[in-house]
Amino acid sequence: MAYDVVVRNGLVVDGTGAPSFRADVGVKDGRIAEIGAIAPGAGAREVDAAGRVVAPGFIDPHTHFDVQLLWDGAARPALEHGVTCVVPGNCSLSLAPLKAADRQRVVGMFQQIEEMPPEAFTTAFDWSWEDFAGYRRAIEKALSINVAPLVGHSVIRLWVMGAAAQERAATADEIAAMQDLLRQCLEAGAVGLSTSFVDIDENGRPVPSRFAQFEELDALSATLGEFGRMLQCVPEFYDTDITIARIDQLSELSLKHGIPTTFSPVFDSRATPNNVPRIMARVEEQFARGARVWPQMQTRPIDVSFSLLRPSLFFARLPRWVRVLRQPVEARLASLNDPETKAKMVADLGADGGERMMGKLVVRGGDAAPADLIGKTLGEIAAARGQAPALALIDLSLENGLDVAFLAASTGHEDTDRVTPTPANPLVHIGASDGGAHISSFSTYGDTGYLFSEFVRKGGHLSLEQAVAKITGETADIWGLKDRGRLKAGLAADIVVFDPDTIDREAELPAFDMPGDGMRYVRGARGIDTVLVNGQVAYAGGAYTEARSGVVCV
Amino acid sequence: MSTDEAVIVGAELAAGHDGTTELVVRLRHPGGAENAVVLDEDVGLALMARCGASHVDELAGHSWRRIMEAGDGV
Repeated sequence: MAYDVVVRNGLVVDGTGAPSFRADVGVKDGRIAEIGAIAPGAGAREVDAAGRVVAPGFIDPHTHFDVQLLWDGAARPALEHGVTCVVPGNCSLSLAPLKAADRQRVVGMFQQIEEMPPEAFTTAFDWSWEDFAGYRRAIEKALSINVAPLVGHSVIRLWVMGAAAQERAATADEIAAMQDLLRQCLEAGAVGLSTSFVDIDENGRPVPSRFAQFEELDALSATLGEFGRMLQCVPEFYDTDITIARIDQLSELSLKHGIPTTFSPVFDSRATPNNVPRIMARVEEQFARGARVWPQMQTRPIDVSFSLLRPSLFFARLPRWVRVLRQPVEARLASLNDPETKAKMVADLGADGGERMMGKLVVRGGDAAPADLIGKTLGEIAAARGQAPALALIDLSLENGLDVAFLAASTGHEDTDRVTPTPANPLVHIGASDGGAHISSFSTYGDTGYLFSEFVRKGGHLSLEQAVAKITGETADIWGLKDRGRLKAGLAADIVVFDPDTIDREAELPAFDMPGDGMRYVRGARGIDTVLVNGQVAYAGGAYTEARSGVVCV
Repeated sequence: MSTDEAVIVGAELAAGHDGTTELVVRLRHPGGAENAVVLDEDVGLALMARCGASHVDELAGHSWRRIMEAGDGV
């Protein structure tokens, strides 16, 4: 056969932003061999893409799949969403280089960010490595997805300084040792360095990278400059002025050392409407100077969740609710069970009984919520019970030990008309999915599907070609992934075949697929037909295959 | 209301990156300039408790120092 795989009759969107065209794509030895009219029967395997888009595999530049990749080489469900390359190791944390004696300390940091169960670190894999090359070998054993791993500043600091990494600035000798260690990691396949000015460990202490002075980051950036690799940063995103100061700092490092830099998260909020415009104004100024300082913006809106197990700001405009819920649990239960108090709480919501404020809340799974109610709105449940929504919320919580979580969907970064100018900006990098993090709080998967369903199909804010380029070719360029991100003869055959009319993310659901039956929230994919990774079909017809063709790619 | 230090002049609720509700507190400084400080849910709730507030609007008029105290107490 001339080709291992031929993807036939599809609408090719090649990742450059150029207009789409109809063609066949021939794959041979893991690479794209031809794009054009290919003779019938030329492929050992033929994929019918009629009516479908054929695009480069999507690249997710901000994930925390470091641990999961050790037992799940597909980073599920990332691959089924059409993602063929993930970047783990963000926010200053990676699983290498790491001395055995420091593992528990870093596990605590990972648990804080990823919310993985302890079993994920003790039973799911054989922790045999210390250096970065060893971690690379460990994940390469069974990869179905490509991985471009960052090395974390916090673990580099910890290796060199031990416990002092979370106590003080580094000496000149320690900084030099960190540079040597970073160089080893880059030679072993790290795509760059990640740092954070925000994250904390499980005890609420700043992670090691936050103790670094500018001289340290400058020296490490010089080492990145030897390789032209990425510096990823989490700035103090809760404060616009400090974020802008960090943009200036990253820009200086970019210009001085010739490196790309990226920071996240950036998201729109009605409460701070000037945040994104001010950040973008400074980014544009710095790009005009020649700096590469890419803001990463997520596509998905922000959902918030709460239960009555603990106080929540969700009720911060309802004084009686605040007073009741801030009590210790026993007193809280007594108040909620008191008919008079309960009646007053419901009355506080007004004549609609809370329909406007609470009717669209969704009951989440993963806790004590009755299975038959998961995914239903409080309005639906209240109607079935013949209650006001506020009363249903209280009673449903009481009936289940208060351990019922409610989701308020799309409460931030949700106004597509306001959000769109930013991801459409050529200087904005679409990313920040946080895939594999916050797993027991919310789902971090399916942002690519949401990009197409919301920004392309529903709003028409981006063309199909623009959207594909944003998460393929442009992302590959930003990260220096020269072999990825485009459909072009000679490049790696990372390909996704999808239905442009239906591609989307599914509803968020709890899944108990973490080691030790740990729970996480996931979203399945809609409209993804076939995913090829380095020329092999890794996902097709709604199922993962046995292909293990993923590589560490830099 | 003291005029020689920053005071809280308002607060709003916002959806936070971590999937919880956050408190965006607006401060007015002695020179008249205003800025916003975003507090996570724990610090936001602690600020309300420290200010004796059971509604976000009741935070107005309190010293910026209550924010520091709330952060230290979490």
